[in-house]
Amino acid sequence: MSFDWKSYTPVIIPDTPNLHEIDVYTKNGGYDSLKKVLSNDWDPEKVINEVKAANIRGRGGAGFNAGLKWSFMPKPDGGPRYLACNGDESEPGTFKDRKIFEYNPHLFIEGALIAAYAMQCSAIYVYIRGEYYSWIKMMEKALKDAYDKGFIGKNILDSGFDVEFHVTGGAGAYICGEETSMLESLEGKRGYPRVKPPFPAQKGLWGRPTTINNIETLACVPLVIKNGADWFSGIGAETHPGPVLYGISGHVNRPGVYELPTGMPVLTLIEEVAGGMRNGKKLKGLIPGGSSTPILRGDALDGVNMDADSLREAGSMMGTAGMIVMDEDTDMVEMLWRISHFYHHESCGQCTPCREGTGWLEKILLKIRNGDGEIRDLELLIDLCSQMEGRTICALADAAAWPVRYTIDRFRDEFEARCKKSTYALA
Amino acid sequence: MPEIFIDGKRYEFEGKPKLLQFILDNGKEVPFFCYHPEMSAPANCRQCYVKVGTPVQNRETGEYELDENGERVIRWFPKMQTSCSMEMTDGMVVHTQESSEEVARAQKDTMELILINHPLDCPICDQAGECPLQIQTYKYGPEGSRFEVKKVHKPKRVELGPRVTLDAERCINCTRCVRFTEEISGTHQLTIASRGDKNYPITAPGMEFDDPYSLNTVDICPVGALTSTDFRFKARVWEMNQTPSIDITGGKGTNVDLWTRDNLVLRLTPRYNENVNTHWMPDESRMAYTKFNENRISRPSIKADGDNQIKTSWNNAIETFAEKLEAVKPADVLVLGSAHASVEENYALMKTFSTWGVNDFHFSPDVKEGFGDDFLLTDDQAPNTKGVKALGFSETSAEDLKAAIKSAKVVVLLNDELVDRGVLGSEDLKKPYVISLATNETETSKSTDLVIPITCIAEHAASYVNVEGRIQRSLPAKETKYTHRKLDLEMSEGRLDRYGTNFDNWVNEDNKVDCTPTWELMNNLGKRLGLSVQFGTSREIMDEIASSNSSFEGVSYEKMDDENGIQLTGMNKEEVSA
Repeated sequence: MSFDWKSYTPVIIPDTPNLHEIDVYTKNGGYDSLKKVLSNDWDPEKVINEVKAANIRGRGGAGFNAGLKWSFMPKPDGGPRYLACNGDESEPGTFKDRKIFEYNPHLFIEGALIAAYAMQCSAIYVYIRGEYYSWIKMMEKALKDAYDKGFIGKNILDSGFDVEFHVTGGAGAYICGEETSMLESLEGKRGYPRVKPPFPAQKGLWGRPTTINNIETLACVPLVIKNGADWFSGIGAETHPGPVLYGISGHVNRPGVYELPTGMPVLTLIEEVAGGMRNGKKLKGLIPGGSSTPILRGDALDGVNMDADSLREAGSMMGTAGMIVMDEDTDMVEMLWRISHFYHHESCGQCTPCREGTGWLEKILLKIRNGDGEIRDLELLIDLCSQMEGRTICALADAAAWPVRYTIDRFRDEFEARCKKSTYALA
Repeated sequence: MPEIFIDGKRYEFEGKPKLLQFILDNGKEVPFFCYHPEMSAPANCRQCYVKVGTPVQNRETGEYELDENGERVIRWFPKMQTSCSMEMTDGMVVHTQESSEEVARAQKDTMELILINHPLDCPICDQAGECPLQIQTYKYGPEGSRFEVKKVHKPKRVELGPRVTLDAERCINCTRCVRFTEEISGTHQLTIASRGDKNYPITAPGMEFDDPYSLNTVDICPVGALTSTDFRFKARVWEMNQTPSIDITGGKGTNVDLWTRDNLVLRLTPRYNENVNTHWMPDESRMAYTKFNENRISRPSIKADGDNQIKTSWNNAIETFAEKLEAVKPADVLVLGSAHASVEENYALMKTFSTWGVNDFHFSPDVKEGFGDDFLLTDDQAPNTKGVKALGFSETSAEDLKAAIKSAKVVVLLNDELVDRGVLGSEDLKKPYVISLATNETETSKSTDLVIPITCIAEHAASYVNVEGRIQRSLPAKETKYTHRKLDLEMSEGRLDRYGTNFDNWVNEDNKVDCTPTWELMNNLGKRLGLSVQFGTSREIMDEIASSNSSFEGVSYEKMDDENGIQLTGMNKEEVSA
């Protein structure tokens, strides 16, 4: 891809100073999209169709067309309907929504309001992870300003559309980033994922139709309304378009969040955008979209782009575009043990395979890390992954199993070198 | 009618049943832990996996698409499905572990994971022998374990409340107990604490699990994590005999099982009856078992000098009974029935004395206002108030009762703790000659002149009418001095009774009480008085009542057994008032 990334002008987190202040935001055309939508010629149906046409693929990891998701909401029946915004981002390697809360909160608020209008929701909840204490405060401030200006509340901009907007902080559980678990948490309950069906669009918050969207996804909405679906779908990869926030971390010279179109070549992102490998080391591995996405070998990244299709071909996933870059000194056993430790610690404990499996995986990896592992333990790990994948209510078991399966698969030599020869075969 | 194919067999169904319940209802089996028919299905144990597919239908015509062999094309769900939460649809095809190696494998996988952190301390666990985890591991579990690392350790012997003790290591986090307090008892006292493999059910800090229905969580716990503090370590399940019976501590007539070993009742557990208590039972009723064992009156006793009672022979007791009656006119005798005694006992008493010439029969209702809830506890504290009333005993207030006792010369009192529950003072029983037929030694029995021991509900087959007018019966669970487990065909036999020798079994003559059923006592009394009353077994007495009393029309033991109790016609469901 011969895309000159340096010529790209960011739109989600533009360079405008003090954009988080509502006056600056409105001066720069903020809330114009909301005004446009609330004017007479835009009915909710039209908004949904526009967003559907833009093909915003959910930025929370699943990559589902946001407009299509909105269209799953049942017809209004007079009762309350909700939009829940997922700002829990607790996947290791992911730190993009934080940027939005800090630098451009009103873009997200505007997007959420447009979404609420499109789905005729009566209230919006934004759920932000508890560790983001300062960012929760920032959002509260931004919401207060928007309330004061009349962008939220009763009869918004004299259109007759009412919506309430609430911020809720999490309490430090990764599982509350799972959409149904987040709903439970919003209701004040223990964050256990719900059994689907019923899907949130039928029975969500307090048993009412609810749509859950990622913060970044919603932040794209005002841009789509402002510039049109064609503009949005023309940016970046054809099947996975739009600007996206790449969160690059690890052994690079300039880690950080970079807004660029989707479909950027992975190597361009690492070598140019993030300033290359730290200390001139060689690239060993890349986790492209948060810790649960399968790791890719550093020597197999030629021609791999950051979009759903290209990454699927390469054997991984887009996830949240939170790229974790690892250099040649990285101990893959240690790395995998640490990731497994995370999932063991964060499994909610509802379903058997995940509750017991994550702990077992971690304990075996710890054994291997400490030099007590045997070759047959690797077979057991892969077996356990098969026992966990797709066998639980939510996808945490898969998220815990994939790194183990693919890291062992792609760096098997390293694992075997750490293991002793088995004294007896696996039962 | 919609159809479903399970393991290649066609079934028809109505409504929207859940797959697991439908499979169980049709006599098939799929292993499960967290599901309970009375509660929501959280699908968290992931044990009831089945393979499910739906037929492919033509979008326009709605017809099933067929393959080249004329078979329906099935679209299989990509993942294995938990049958407990799976809603059945028309034409669905299901493979359980019986017909699919893949399903059997998935169930084994889950079982292996459930067992890795379970302590496997079955030899010292109370649940062993009636443990769903143990049973299903034998049936569907893996042959061994590949777990070679350290198990998770969690709190043991946690007293959750006055009646329930938790062993968190045994817990498999099915959340049945938590859902019970949320959905059934409504106290919300339990929750799951901590996360992942460290989690276990507990109360909020500083709170007690004193739910009036707390012991039901012990019954529904699929492992030995929640145990009854009272029953803990008392007996192994396979040593006990299980006998169906009725709870006699309240008016609801909760169906229970009596668990006996060596003629001692060791615990009560609820028995399913969809019309009365479904799966549940109040804690209050569970402690009633002590009354069947402790303070039992064995052999008659008589007041000899002053207030001292001494043991006497059965002959002497019957002779004294008859002499005291013969010395007075029937009008001077007050006969008190009891709402705490069965229909048959009250009937035998009434028939004997009305043949002898007594016309008035009374009983004192036992009602505690405000005690009941809208679940299983009732204001009525007696199991048979409606039954005694239907037999023709008149409800008598405490004042009227005191006056009647004052004017009587002889009082015959059927098993009712009138003094203990404050209806009478012991001084009220001083003046007349009081003969009590009683099961337990109480203040009441101590205040009477002649005490004749009778069998309690654990020793006889007899029926009771609950507050809703439903007649249900008990079966003998304990032997008396005059009954024998091997001869009485109604008595339950445990594994050791059936297969063991006398030397294998627990045998202790001391636990057999020297008492007879009321109707046998009445036979002896009637014979002595020259009356033409003759009672057979309680079964025959019930047949006699059914043919002579319109309230009990159509009632028989056979029908009660077949239908799990009979709703008496003409009796409304309202509660009995004082």
